[in-house]
Amino acid sequence: MEKCLIFVDSEYAKNAIELLEVARQIFDLAPYETYALCIHDITESANGAFDHIIYVSDESVKCHDAKAIAIIMEELHVIHNFGAILIPATQIGRMLAPRLAIRLHVGLVADVTAIEHIDGALQMVRPAFSGKIMACISNLGKKPIMMSVRQNVFLYNEDLNKATSHETFYPKSDLTTNIKWIKTVEKPKSKDIRDSEVLVSGGGGVKKGFHRLTELAEALGGEVSASRHIVDSGIASRSIQVGQSGKTVSPKLYIALGIYGSLQHVEGLKNVKHIISVNINKDAPICSLSDIVVEGDAIEFIEKLVDKIKSEADESK
Amino acid sequence: MKIICLVKFTPDIENFIYDYEKNVLVRENTRMVINPDDACALALALKYKSKHPETVVEVVTMAPLSILPHVQDLIRRDVDSAAVISDKLYVGSDTYVTSKILAKYLMNQTFDLILTGTHAIDGDTSHVPSQIGERLDIDQLSNIIRVDEQLLSLTSATVDVDAEHSISTYEIELPAILSLQKESKYKLPYVKYVDIEKDVSDRIQIIDNAMLGFDQSEVGIDGSLTKVSRTYVKKMSKNDRVIVKNDEAGIETVYAFLKEKGFV
Ligand SMILES: Cc1cc2nc3c(=O)[nH]c(=O)nc-3n(C[C@H](O)[C@H](O)[C@H](O)COP(=O)(O)OP(=O)(O)OC[C@H]3O[C@@H](n4cnc5c(N)ncnc54)[C@H](O)[C@@H]3O)c2cc1C
Ligand SMILES: Nc1ncnc2c1ncn2[C@@H]1O[C@H](COP(=O)(O)O)[C@@H](O)[C@H]1O
Repeated sequence: MEKCLIFVDSEYAKNAIELLEVARQIFDLAPYETYALCIHDITESANGAFDHIIYVSDESVKCHDAKAIAIIMEELHVIHNFGAILIPATQIGRMLAPRLAIRLHVGLVADVTAIEHIDGALQMVRPAFSGKIMACISNLGKKPIMMSVRQNVFLYNEDLNKATSHETFYPKSDLTTNIKWIKTVEKPKSKDIRDSEVLVSGGGGVKKGFHRLTELAEALGGEVSASRHIVDSGIASRSIQVGQSGKTVSPKLYIALGIYGSLQHVEGLKNVKHIISVNINKDAPICSLSDIVVEGDAIEFIEKLVDKIKSEADESK
Repeated sequence: MKIICLVKFTPDIENFIYDYEKNVLVRENTRMVINPDDACALALALKYKSKHPETVVEVVTMAPLSILPHVQDLIRRDVDSAAVISDKLYVGSDTYVTSKILAKYLMNQTFDLILTGTHAIDGDTSHVPSQIGERLDIDQLSNIIRVDEQLLSLTSATVDVDAEHSISTYEIELPAILSLQKESKYKLPYVKYVDIEKDVSDRIQIIDNAMLGFDQSEVGIDGSLTKVSRTYVKKMSKNDRVIVKNDEAGIETVYAFLKEKGFV
């Protein structure tokens, strides 16, 4: 039976669960077991989702120290001989995966967004050239298959009621670190657009009236997001940017107002259920992805739709 | 202090033209530019040097020799020297091999600090700096948006690291690799007018495989552990979409859709 090790970044516990879907796709029908590596605290959601949880409590291991965690994972690999090692492409994950790949002398694929099996060979799909192209990468070396996985792309819908075993692991190597944490300052909290089920998003076409997107977002109980065009012109903050250089979002409804729909933008839309686009050009690329295309001015659309929603709500009172 | 800056030259991706008809990128005539993150890292080094004249800044790049004019341009911005690692054998190297080649060169250099970008806009893996860190057995931090110049010494650096929801400050012992991102906003100085035509060739060293001594099987495509088997421009999938006008009937259609799906 193959074993798959998944690193749990405790700050993004949800992403570790997503990686179970990657494991499922890699091994396809072959039997396999999943191992979660948790540093310092056992992530609650891993219980029941993984077959095994390996827990490292050693105080000298710091969560920000990729060098030490890579050593721990190598020690684990020597014991378990994993068939695959998956690491979420978080800030620490992206420093950890390359170190571990060097220690294990294996190839590493970055920021994977899809898994394919072509003629029996595993292909890992990832964006490159700032999301302008997609590349299929194959691994030529020996086991384990290693990749970092883009956050928020895979969806895991399988059993979350497994009988998970727990094991505390005591690393043998000396893991003192030369990186000292001084402080962490939270960024001012805007609501995370990735948590919103409805996004009202604006692009170059609504540069002038961008602030009015809030009216529609409020009427639909959603959040406002933006394309790179708007962020680069300084109208909105980078934290609400959708796309390759921004965030990957998976709302149920995405309303694209005056958004052209460049590849890099569309790259940030994953598992979006419905798209409504409003554009003076009904042939803009975003429109070909939409359930409904409204041909016309986006700000006018906001006014009309908000009025409609309000008047319908009044009537049903 | 001796600072080595790892610089990659990449196609100017922002100005790629995309042909929607044929679904391809038009790559002819794309200019090469210094990778944006790397420009910030180098700019920091030069800023530090301008305040601490005893600082020595070396640029190291692995690239085809066609980028030499770009390297000369960097030297004219007050870089002390450059090493251009270039050999036909190195073409097609994945990050495992790229870091192996760069690390072999770096292993025989003296330095107090290595500055790099966090990611390059073409290959876009963010692997190379951490892999070099592992190969040289030194620490490395990515996503740096500020280096405290007051606290930068031969033995340690204090840096701000950008994570999604927060900014963390770390003190890291040197030698180490600090990888900046372009949001750090350090700007390269201009070339002084008198230096525009300056001959700087004596400050550029070209390093080939005769000097690094790899076996052919260890580098390039042969030595790589990953292979790009196919690239494609993402297809836009078509839906059975409805096109309406921005009028009463159009708004009615949208509203009915929102209602049916439970959004209002
Ligand atoms: C479409 C495509 C997909 C690819 N996918 C993968 C993959 O998944 N895995 C893999 O192992 N390889 C992959 N590669 C190969 C990889 O891009 C090359 O090895 C590349 O030379 C280095 O990687 P990078 O651009 O990702 O650099 P990054 O690691 O993103 O660069 C980070 C920093 O490292 C420094 N640096 C990087 N390269 C150099 C250099 N040549 N000279 C000096 N400094 C440098 C710079 O400071 C730079 O800012 C891919 C290549 C392509 C074209
Ligand atoms: N007033 C408007 N309302 C809706 N869409 C618009 C408006 N003006 C421009 N657009 C579209 O908005 C997109 C903006 O493109 P760009 O300026 O390249 O980001 C394009 O697809 C335009 O067709």
